[in-house]
Amino acid sequence: MSFLAAVLSATMLAQTLRMAVPYVCAGLGGVWSERSGVVNIALEGILLAGGLAGVVAHVATGSAWTGVAAGAIVGAAIGALHAVIVVRGRVDAIVSGLAVNLAAAGGTRFLLRTLYDSSSNSPPVEGFRVAGLGGGSGVALLARTALDPLTLATAALVAGTAWTMLRTRFGLRVRACGEEPAAAAAVGVDVPRVRLAAVSLGGAICGLGGVALAYDQHQFQSGMSGGRGFIALAAVVLSGWRPGRAAAACVAFAALDAVQIVVQDQARAAGYAAQMLPYLAALVALWVIARRRGQGAIAGRPPAALGKAID
Amino acid sequence: MIERLRGATTATVAGVAAGWLALALLVWAYGEAPAAIAGQLLSGTWGMPYGIGQVLYKATPLLLTGVAVELALRAGLFNIGAEGQLAVAGLAVATLGAHLPRGTPAWLALPAVLAIAPLAGAAWAVVPAILRARFGAHEVISTIMMNRIADAAVGLALARGLAIPGTVRTPDVVPGARLPRLEALGLTSLHGSAVSFALPLAVVVAALAAVWLARSRVGREVVLVGLSPTACAAERIPVARRLAAALVLSGAVAGLAAVAPVLGYKGYFESGLGAGAGFGGIAVALLGRGHPVGLVLSALLFGTLEQGGLVINARVPMEVTTVLQGVIIVAVALADARVRAALLGRGRAR
Amino acid sequence: MAALLALERLDKRYGAVHAVADVSLAFEAGRLHAVVGENGAGKSTLLKMAAGVVVPDAGEVVIDGVRLDQHTAREAIARGIGMVQQHFALVGVLSALDNVMLGAEPVRALGRLDVERARARAVAVAREMGVSLPWEAPVETLGVGDRQRLEIVRTLVREARVVILDEPTAVLTPGEAAALYTTLRRLADAGRAVVVVTHHLDEVRDHADTVSVIRRGKLVSSRPMNRRDGEAMAALTRDIMGEGPPPRLERRARQLGEVQLELRDVRRGRALRGVTLRVRAGEIVGVAGVEGNGQRELVRVLAGLEPVDGGVVQAGPVAVVHEDRHAEGLVLAASVRDNLVLGELARFARLGMVDGAALEREARGRLERARVVPPDLDAPAAALSGGNQQKIVVARAVARAERGARVLVLAQPTRGVDLGAARAIHAEIAAAAEAGRAVLLVSADLGELRTLCDRILVMARGRIVTELPPDAPDARIGEAMLGGDAAPGAEARP
Repeated sequence: MSFLAAVLSATMLAQTLRMAVPYVCAGLGGVWSERSGVVNIALEGILLAGGLAGVVAHVATGSAWTGVAAGAIVGAAIGALHAVIVVRGRVDAIVSGLAVNLAAAGGTRFLLRTLYDSSSNSPPVEGFRVAGLGGGSGVALLARTALDPLTLATAALVAGTAWTMLRTRFGLRVRACGEEPAAAAAVGVDVPRVRLAAVSLGGAICGLGGVALAYDQHQFQSGMSGGRGFIALAAVVLSGWRPGRAAAACVAFAALDAVQIVVQDQARAAGYAAQMLPYLAALVALWVIARRRGQGAIAGRPPAALGKAID
Repeated sequence: MIERLRGATTATVAGVAAGWLALALLVWAYGEAPAAIAGQLLSGTWGMPYGIGQVLYKATPLLLTGVAVELALRAGLFNIGAEGQLAVAGLAVATLGAHLPRGTPAWLALPAVLAIAPLAGAAWAVVPAILRARFGAHEVISTIMMNRIADAAVGLALARGLAIPGTVRTPDVVPGARLPRLEALGLTSLHGSAVSFALPLAVVVAALAAVWLARSRVGREVVLVGLSPTACAAERIPVARRLAAALVLSGAVAGLAAVAPVLGYKGYFESGLGAGAGFGGIAVALLGRGHPVGLVLSALLFGTLEQGGLVINARVPMEVTTVLQGVIIVAVALADARVRAALLGRGRAR
Repeated sequence: MAALLALERLDKRYGAVHAVADVSLAFEAGRLHAVVGENGAGKSTLLKMAAGVVVPDAGEVVIDGVRLDQHTAREAIARGIGMVQQHFALVGVLSALDNVMLGAEPVRALGRLDVERARARAVAVAREMGVSLPWEAPVETLGVGDRQRLEIVRTLVREARVVILDEPTAVLTPGEAAALYTTLRRLADAGRAVVVVTHHLDEVRDHADTVSVIRRGKLVSSRPMNRRDGEAMAALTRDIMGEGPPPRLERRARQLGEVQLELRDVRRGRALRGVTLRVRAGEIVGVAGVEGNGQRELVRVLAGLEPVDGGVVQAGPVAVVHEDRHAEGLVLAASVRDNLVLGELARFARLGMVDGAALEREARGRLERARVVPPDLDAPAAALSGGNQQKIVVARAVARAERGARVLVLAQPTRGVDLGAARAIHAEIAAAAEAGRAVLLVSADLGELRTLCDRILVMARGRIVTELPPDAPDARIGEAMLGGDAAPGAEARP
């Protein structure tokens, strides 16, 4: 099959959609956290931890949905931990995020060995299989992917995040905390509490992404997040911290990932080049956006209080 | 001054204590006895000459990446890219070292390979440096991207001819380019371990870095920029240039870290050699509190953890040490934040 | 009449500074109560404790006979205490309506904002106040007067019975200030307790029902205002200053030399719209004007930090004291030593390394001359009082002026600085002029300008609109600040 045909096929679309789910979830996690003013580079670690939690719960109870719940809960817990360390402990958010990532990377491997005696994978899990849509054709794959509960949930979360951010009391307060926390505090908003809630919510969604990642491979593999958390963060920054656009950017990166798979079939050396693609793309985009912002385009500037020491 | 010392000690003690506590918990959760495991860890590292040598060997790149991260940190920047800078430098060093004429004497070969390491590391830091200094793009994201690109680039280069065909490693460097092991000094007690002259080199670099930050004009301005870029800009200190200088210098020192595994131990470069030292350097810098002695001690601590992890791996997964890194970082940072707030005498309004 | 709001024995320290010392004060409904004192006397801190923004170390805040117990902004607002702070507590990117809602948002199902209800209420309150506001506009696009009105509307929407305003006229022209007080009188007449924290005695004289004086954290006096009693005004001034009014700085006749600084029709963005001025060696020229009329950009242009879009700037090297010492004047976390020579390391460097001994000598010299007590070069700048911090910034600029800079520009040099330090700084400024420097003094403090300057330029809307002698009446200056109709280039008009 020619390269072009491969890229534009239904299979490719399905792959993109499938791979986009963890990216988008991590991206939404980043949006919630950073709009409230807390930098969150721990998305990578949360993907891992959420994925493992999901698989462990699934294996233990036999239920895929329990796994989903476990992944979300663990994601929320780690998010909450990060928020407490940063907001109450006044630790730099990047330091805390790095520490979380390290602990998650080591911790997930440790747990793999503890629970399953393997340093690289968990036992296989069923995940979600959409009934009645078997078949290996591209279209069938696309349908299965689109109807997967986690894919649908992710789409709903994108819409839900946008709506909540703009139209609810919580969303208004989150935005205020991310821009002028002092002003918000002066009118009685409990800034630490709002930030804690936002970061935990983001963590829960990101944890879901981890579960999706693991269910997709039908097992948890050590280090399986593979940099997606960081790419998602780049997507958030590039998209101006807006949920809809961040999701779109994440899908774009997922598409690059999917292209990589097709290319790897063709030539191994080209495989390395393709591997670099998402990251190079992110760098270039970062440069373009930074230049435009420097020239005065205010659209999509970071929340004013992001990364600033609180108080 | 005394208060600052006391504050620094509190944070360090907090970090180390938290580390031991976490280790005990994890070991206990795994089903082993914490005391026994701790004993095994210590005896396998500081309890025997080979162990000490290995700890020193592992501490060497950690000290250098620690210095690298610290240099950037003083400017207010986070260099997460030490992993990539180190990998690229390792490849560069091994390739140059292997392509020198076979009989090149040490006094010619060593300076050449020792010079290319920081150059390669600095080169890998240039893109994030410019992105940050000129365009204000956050270096955390760009350096992480550069890490991943380095992975792929190194793999590509190895596949495309830099490696020995059929393998993922470069050819051996010429004998003149190797760093002798420390046991050559007659320290037969370190027999068999990989620690080389890279260690004293690292210590010297740490000392030089401290002097540069405290006494040189550019170094002092970098520190001032890190504390308040706005005030410095108002007094016409070239902020963007100092930021770029700090990040590029940081990359250079990180690149130098590659000489320990490549020139001092293996004599070649292979995919994954030196991995982990980049992130480990962040932990070392944060625990080292900005003081060269602190950095050395901190590197020794994390080197001990790394080697210790291997020692206990048969009974407890060595990944505990990664978790410990995270725990120690947070504990130190928490203690540090409170100390700093108290020192600057800020009375807080709620 | 029973007090609506009573402050009982409030006390607050910040490190070594005793900001508020055991102050008890009562505010009555229906009255406009002014709380006055010099900069840094503790008035803001006192009222912030009333509003729950600052937690007192000791004492109680009692409203309607009931004590506040959590001392949070939330509680104070819920109990009817509203405060309009000096630096507005508004979120710029959100709309005016969003800001009014924030913290007390009316909601429907699922936490959904009830925007219609919020707007209806806001509009009603605004109408009662006699104002109208663009509710959908992002606050960052609103002018200062509108923002202030928005803040007041917000306190009223929350049904505040006590409305506190902290230095409300600092950012208003005299005309806008008068409009504000009309509104405040309306609020008071409707039964609220209105409290105004200010250091402008003329406002107190013209509008207050009761006056309380705070000096160095303590309550000095509190009595009803009797406008017709001249002696009462003098007593008031004495209460505030502690002794008689400060001696006027003796202005020795200075020889004026060459023009050292000249701007011709300088433009920059929307802030500077054609500034023309000239300063000679030995002259102190003042620039008066309400904040936000281009003063900041003017200083930045003179410091060489921003290019000009048009016009000509002719000046040799310039030494500058910026208006915000915390952000631009000092590296707070660095030592006093580093701050004293900030930006001059190149001078002390040989082959890239700094000559520590030479730097030490220079720093010590500057510290001694500035008379900072205690003279600790190692202390972090953040640990010093506002006055000492400013002395350091001024010392640095003055030293630069001596070493070759012919022009000295100072912006708000005594803002937030205690009286003693302010006088020392004024002496340095006068000395610099006597030594032959051309001095440009940008200040919102008319008293300071009158004391020091040979002539006063008034800046409004990015231009110098007129020039006045230092003894020109307030009304004349105020009128000029509102102007902006003068043709560009008109700089000498008696």
